Amino acid sequence: MDETVAEFIKRTILKIPLNELTTILKAWDFLSENQLQTVNFRQRKESVVQHLIHLCEEKRASLNDAALLDIIYTQFHQHQKVWDVFQMSKGPGEDVDLFDMKQFKNSFKKILQRALKNVTVSFRETEENAVWIRIAWGTQYTKPNQYKPTYVVYYSQTPYAFKSSSTLRRNTPLLGQALTVASKHHQIVKMDLRSRYLDSLKAIVFKQYNQTFETHNSATPLQERSLGLDINMDSRIIHENIVEKERVQRITQETFGDYPQPQLEFAQYKLETKFKSDLNGSILAEREEPLRCLIKFSSPHLLEALKSLAPAGIADAPLSPLLTCIPNKRKNYFKIRDK
Amino acid sequence: MEQANPLRPDGESKGGVLAHLERLENQTSRSRKRSEAQAQERVLGTKIQKLRHLRDDPRAALWHRRGSVKACIANVEPNRTVEVNEQEALEEKLENVKAILQAYHFTGLSGKLTSRGVCVCINTAFEGNLLDSYFVDLVIQKPLRIHHHSVPVFIPLEEIAAKYLQTNIQHFLFSLCEYLNAYSGRKYQADRLQSDFAALLTGPLQRNPLCNLLSFTYKLDPGGQSFPFCARLLYKDLTATLPTDVTVTCQGGEALSTSWEEQRASHETLFCTKPLHQVFASFARREKLEMSLVS
Repeated sequence: MDETVAEFIKRTILKIPLNELTTILKAWDFLSENQLQTVNFRQRKESVVQHLIHLCEEKRASLNDAALLDIIYTQFHQHQKVWDVFQMSKGPGEDVDLFDMKQFKNSFKKILQRALKNVTVSFRETEENAVWIRIAWGTQYTKPNQYKPTYVVYYSQTPYAFKSSSTLRRNTPLLGQALTVASKHHQIVKMDLRSRYLDSLKAIVFKQYNQTFETHNSATPLQERSLGLDINMDSRIIHENIVEKERVQRITQETFGDYPQPQLEFAQYKLETKFKSDLNGSILAEREEPLRCLIKFSSPHLLEALKSLAPAGIADAPLSPLLTCIPNKRKNYFKIRDK
Repeated sequence: MEQANPLRPDGESKGGVLAHLERLENQTSRSRKRSEAQAQERVLGTKIQKLRHLRDDPRAALWHRRGSVKACIANVEPNRTVEVNEQEALEEKLENVKAILQAYHFTGLSGKLTSRGVCVCINTAFEGNLLDSYFVDLVIQKPLRIHHHSVPVFIPLEEIAAKYLQTNIQHFLFSLCEYLNAYSGRKYQADRLQSDFAALLTGPLQRNPLCNLLSFTYKLDPGGQSFPFCARLLYKDLTATLPTDVTVTCQGGEALSTSWEEQRASHETLFCTKPLHQVFASFARREKLEMSLVS
């Protein structure tokens, strides 16, 4: 086993928390059951890692095996990366997509290898018809850097792919080209959507964030929601603004629904608008150039936070459509100009 | 508390008098405040009573009216059993309607109005087997749009919507039904092949999400000496459940005897004309027949 490969595997295993180690090793399926049973996972981490490296050496792990382990680690820790969304399109009158996984993998690899001699490409298919692609980039003269790979998750027979953000921007056009050609598309465009939560991005892009549908078989009709004003309260106590509270609840429910919102961390609005003011003759109103500013809303769970604004009394209902259109427009980056 | 004594020496008496004056001042302000509060209380009291009247009068009127309506009904139908029969009849009607709505599932396309539009349900079927259901929730606005859905991501829903949703919603729904039914049918065939005829396959079935490219190797006599066949089925028409292109090749042995060549060609035709699992069912039957003939 190559020293660089051994080092790579060692660093990858060191990243894995002890309580996930057996799960990930099983998913990797490289070391056999018997081999794994010889390892004492209760030791100090360094000793466990040493033992595992020894076993990998015995089995002659290759760079590909190591790359696969890295993919599995990333699949378990998706939230550590920030994901961008890309949309591809076909030309008019294109043939029906007869997707062949083998052909796709070969084509993708060939395109990258032809352009940059040194590149490591690995694939792992998942059950939801998605293929995880890991690319470690090198140049004509340097070996691939295994510690700064790019991940692409491509849903076959759809125009969408998700790519991990990386600082190495110069390879993005080549990656786009490889993906487009291998999947028999024409063009690729980056969507204005970005988040750490791959599942949420998938739900937004494929419009599947709500999996409840009204049918005639639904158990109960839409129930009156209790506003948390309990029935146990004294009947002599009446909320004076109950009408307003009900209105806010109704509007919030119509806008956001009853289902859990997809998870995003921010929404960013770039404004380029002229200053609007009621006061005449203010200096800003006379300004010919539009004002430029950037507004960013951040939250651990932005959409749930927006949903709770009106019921909490912090904002008026209905909320601005610029905020509520995020899942529908599949964007969390906006550019607003004067019409 | 010591009483103010005007006969005390100067300094003390001033303190005494001033303190007394202060006390008197406090007393008057307190009593003034009290009377103000009382006046406010009275005003609020009358306001509360007025509001109570405003609330209770319509309520009383409503109860009154309900009572009189009930009395009317009671007068018109003095017979209690007739009331109960009506109730039963209504319940039966309700059950009937529910059953009819459920039966709509068998038409393949049904829907329910929602607060903002309609939720369409597409029930797919193939060869008389009811398969998966898919939902599309539409918002009736200008422009008509899809709010959310459960259609698989690889069905070209966006394309179909771009073509027909705004101009001809019927066409949109029927087109989507076609795609989904065809997909369900292809998936059903591939699943049946994998589950029921695994014995005849010599390798895993290669398939893609739309099930429109299937690739597999099979043997007519598993465990026998014959060469396996390689089949590659392409379904270029996404609204069809039969392949448009079929290639069957024989693995190993360049020179094929005429009988093998005939078999190969006949298999190609079979795959083109009959559903996949039925072709394999006929293979299995043939095999059984041959075995019984031999033994």
